[in-house]
Amino acid sequence: MAETRDDVLPQQSLLFDHHHDGVDRRGFLKCMAWAGTGTLCVLNGGILKSFSLSGMSEIERAAAKGEMSFVQISDSHLGFNKPANTDVAATLKAAIERINALPVAPEFILHTGDITHLSKPEEFDAADQILKGANTQQVFFVPGEHDMLNDDGKSYLDRYGKGTKGSGWRSFDHKGVHFIGLVNVVNLKAGGLGSLGRDQLEWLEDDVKHLPKSTPIVVFAHIPLWSVYPQWGWGTEDGAQALGYLKKFGSVTVLNGHIHQTMQKVEGNVTFHTAMSTAFPQPQPGKAESPGPMKVPAEQLRSVLGITDVTYVRGRHALAVVDSTLG
Amino acid sequence: MNGKTALRALALSLVLALGAGAGSLLLGAGAAAGAEVKIDNFSFTPAKLEIAAGTTVTWVNRDDIPHTVVSNDHVLFKSKALDTDEKFSFSFTKAGKYPYFCSLHPKMTGEVIVR
Repeated sequence: MAETRDDVLPQQSLLFDHHHDGVDRRGFLKCMAWAGTGTLCVLNGGILKSFSLSGMSEIERAAAKGEMSFVQISDSHLGFNKPANTDVAATLKAAIERINALPVAPEFILHTGDITHLSKPEEFDAADQILKGANTQQVFFVPGEHDMLNDDGKSYLDRYGKGTKGSGWRSFDHKGVHFIGLVNVVNLKAGGLGSLGRDQLEWLEDDVKHLPKSTPIVVFAHIPLWSVYPQWGWGTEDGAQALGYLKKFGSVTVLNGHIHQTMQKVEGNVTFHTAMSTAFPQPQPGKAESPGPMKVPAEQLRSVLGITDVTYVRGRHALAVVDSTLG
Repeated sequence: MNGKTALRALALSLVLALGAGAGSLLLGAGAAAGAEVKIDNFSFTPAKLEIAAGTTVTWVNRDDIPHTVVSNDHVLFKSKALDTDEKFSFSFTKAGKYPYFCSLHPKMTGEVIVR
């Protein structure tokens, strides 16, 4: 019933009533982004909000109020052993420990790709083993380019492709939120950026066509869908077309990885957020010769794998950001 | 390629090599039938390599991140992902221009010109 009303009410009225619980109160989707550990999102309607993990009491209050929460982690690069971080398994474990310390267990984890460094079976195995330790129901993946290195993604898809289409894209609904996992790391063209491709775009258009515009949308993909820094390939060439299909929705949250640092922006009803890596930091756009792994003194590593929190108020476009570190 | 064009190519390659340090490199006709392209800092050096037909080009990855070497047509040559210090070689037998890129980081592009 709420859904029907949503469709005819003006945008400003959509804040309260897209839940099926009949409770006519303002809900919110809270999103806690830890650089280095992950992003916890608590759903309680139309507002996306997140907090610093260091403010545990605030998180506790938020999580208790939420109807659903999930975590985003990214770029764990199992198998990487260069000076920037010689023990990426340990930092992924640390991320899982932070997740398990949450007052309310997240219902699932979204991993936004580069699970492994070289797509090797033993790297996937190691990641799976560590992720098994997470206190959550399920982990959803989208691949990074490092997960589809040598076999057109076969080993990735054998493992994580169940229920997905094409090179691994999918959508699912959870408690009134429509989640869309996109793949923008295959069939890249010389000189180009990340790419979704025509088949996936057609699928996406069809996937969201019949959804009420009040449906909160969460999109997750590896390479940023927005143009962060095209000079380093940090963007998706047909990302704008994908976002075009999502224009009608009042609340769209886009979660990406790939750039190993937190960035965010709000454009209309769309909030973009990139997560930090659980493995190693990368330089800020243009602040180094190349986007390669950034070496920091060992005692500082966890301080650059810090914490970022995002707050998004649906329909109001208000965004509050708190960054803090793990170290 | 006539003499004038070749001269122009040589001049251009020298300017690029001297100016950018990552420009093109013209191997002498009597050079050994091998050339190397270094992959470092998410770029190919030299980005433009001019060789004689029959030359084998070897790419070596000096980055902390894997890269690939793939001809733009995705057909002629295609390396597997090269981890740090791994190499890939391809022998060019026919004259022509062979643009290539890293399929993981497609902003990384290069070209082999075979005389």
